[in-house]
Amino acid sequence: MKLTRRRFLGGAAVAALGGAGIYELVDQLGSSPVRPPSTVAAPPEQHLIDLRTTHSEGVEVVVPPLHSEIVTATVAEVDLRQAQQQLEHVLTELESSYDPATPSGLGITVAWGISYFARVHASAERHLPFDRRAQKPVLLPTRRFPSDPDATVLEQNDVAFLLRSDTLAHIQAAESALRGLDFLQVTSVRRGFAGGGFDGKQSLPKKLAMAAGVPGADLIPDTSELFLGFTSTQKAGLGPRLIANHETLGYVDLRGGYFHGGTHMHLSHISEDLEAWYLNFDFGERVLTAFAPGQKAKPNQQTVPQGPHDVHDAAQMRHTFERTGRFGHSASIQPTSRLQRDHVGPDGTVYPKGTAIPQRADFNTLDNPFFFSADPVRDKWTKDPAAGVHFVVFNPSGDDFERNRLAMDGQLPDGTKLDVKQRSRAQGFNSVLTTTHRQNFLVPPRRHRSFPLAEL
Amino acid sequence: MRASLVAAAAAAVLAVLFAPAASAGSRQCPQQWAEGWQALANKVQSPVYCPTWMPNPLDAKIGGQYEDIYSISRDRSYLVSFLEHGDLGSGDVHVNFRGYPGRLAVPKCPAPVGHGSTPCFSNPVAKLSANGIRATVYQVNQGADQWHILLAWHYRGTLYAVSEHVIPPYRFSTQVRHNLSLLLKSLVLVRPQR
Repeated sequence: MKLTRRRFLGGAAVAALGGAGIYELVDQLGSSPVRPPSTVAAPPEQHLIDLRTTHSEGVEVVVPPLHSEIVTATVAEVDLRQAQQQLEHVLTELESSYDPATPSGLGITVAWGISYFARVHASAERHLPFDRRAQKPVLLPTRRFPSDPDATVLEQNDVAFLLRSDTLAHIQAAESALRGLDFLQVTSVRRGFAGGGFDGKQSLPKKLAMAAGVPGADLIPDTSELFLGFTSTQKAGLGPRLIANHETLGYVDLRGGYFHGGTHMHLSHISEDLEAWYLNFDFGERVLTAFAPGQKAKPNQQTVPQGPHDVHDAAQMRHTFERTGRFGHSASIQPTSRLQRDHVGPDGTVYPKGTAIPQRADFNTLDNPFFFSADPVRDKWTKDPAAGVHFVVFNPSGDDFERNRLAMDGQLPDGTKLDVKQRSRAQGFNSVLTTTHRQNFLVPPRRHRSFPLAEL
Repeated sequence: MRASLVAAAAAAVLAVLFAPAASAGSRQCPQQWAEGWQALANKVQSPVYCPTWMPNPLDAKIGGQYEDIYSISRDRSYLVSFLEHGDLGSGDVHVNFRGYPGRLAVPKCPAPVGHGSTPCFSNPVAKLSANGIRATVYQVNQGADQWHILLAWHYRGTLYAVSEHVIPPYRFSTQVRHNLSLLLKSLVLVRPQR
């Protein structure tokens, strides 16, 4: 049976559990991770949240928040200084109700799109950070990548709110508060979940996919952190605390320093073809596709070490490709996503060669593609659930993100283009992933999170 | 959706009607299908397995309305395939029967990437026993069995396989595995006639 004959009639069997019902199951099906109470105030960085670690198959892994939600919006033509005060008041109120430093409370990250900064153009000209390595602004216009379909929507939201918590009610309270701000015109709400399973119980992605009845749900390993069957929050595979800040690696000219402590955020929605993944890739091929050809893994292993010594460089990637005709997802990204040499941060922190730079905050979803869309025709919105991921990643700059994403398509910063057909099976995950939406954002430091630059 | 439910309900009814006896010896290849399976056994000079149950709406009449592939190779290996294209919304039902007379090893298929080869049946996920047969359940399969769940087993020096496509109305592998277990229970041997 050829791939093209596959048909997708997803979700029809799930009418009884459509919409919010599925996500509410998270609280019923999942047990909240035990997290130590936070002992520190919220950090200057908005994007940082304290996540405890545990061990999975001998590897230290970060325990992600159970629930995540993104609310995107445009901003009406209003007095931005007044709006700034109103938004800050709402955010401060939420922080006083829910500990902002840990998912046992509520993590809030406010990120601003290029269309917003056009509203404060004069100040933006002076203060927006500039990537001196790339000789480009840190916040770049959103683009498609070679493996993206032409239909990928390049969004132009003014603002995105990333909400993270182990308790759905905290997120609902925040969404409700944000919806109460009449200058915000909500364009989408995106919901999802991750984790469970590290304690040996059935994970949330497995439970929720089964409850939603998405195709391929029954093929997901029971304890899998994410739909695709592998753990993705190995501590060594995520950037350490301050590394994604604009200032840490020295790539970025912060001009007057207004955005010191800020970062870049890329947001995309990616649909995942679970049936293709589990019915066409055997375990060995799933391992080499997710990681690298030659990657050792025990049968049905989910958590594969991704420490600095497991990292592939560009030469290895090219050699592997010449030998096998394919490259793995992790191996393709590591030449750009890991430090190529030791680095000492401005605060004296030593970041050894091989340290991961991006800080991912991605989470699985059954949105198709969003929980709510203000433009359902453009977004091809449907209430039928579908497996996917809301991909959220923080990098020091937009160019740094683009380097990683291009590498995923076999295009390296030195100009190397590996001769592989886009979206082919030789190209890591790409043949089972389809990006539907993308947007770049700038995340100001906490002190300037509300309508940055509007006060100047 | 309605068509899917109807198909699933009908399959359940047929499963009861054709519930296999405890022993394969008490059943025979259904009369209206037997001629084709006997001809196949004679052609490959090896026993073949005839099903006495098929997922709705298929029958297993070789040369009948649902036959999709009838292929016998020089090495006597065979592929007999039955397919219903539910173009009006009822979905596809596709079942393959294979035999490799005189061979026990899983055959090789072209690798999906590069120039090498890969096992045609891989990712064994379970064992299934019924009807005196102990079959291995393979989740990742190639060629005409791509996107199918497949059962493979040995009998007297020959490798046999039966597979079904995971696609609506049988959209979950668990539903397909259920169908395959019914198929396994329903199989009867047809021996070549000299």
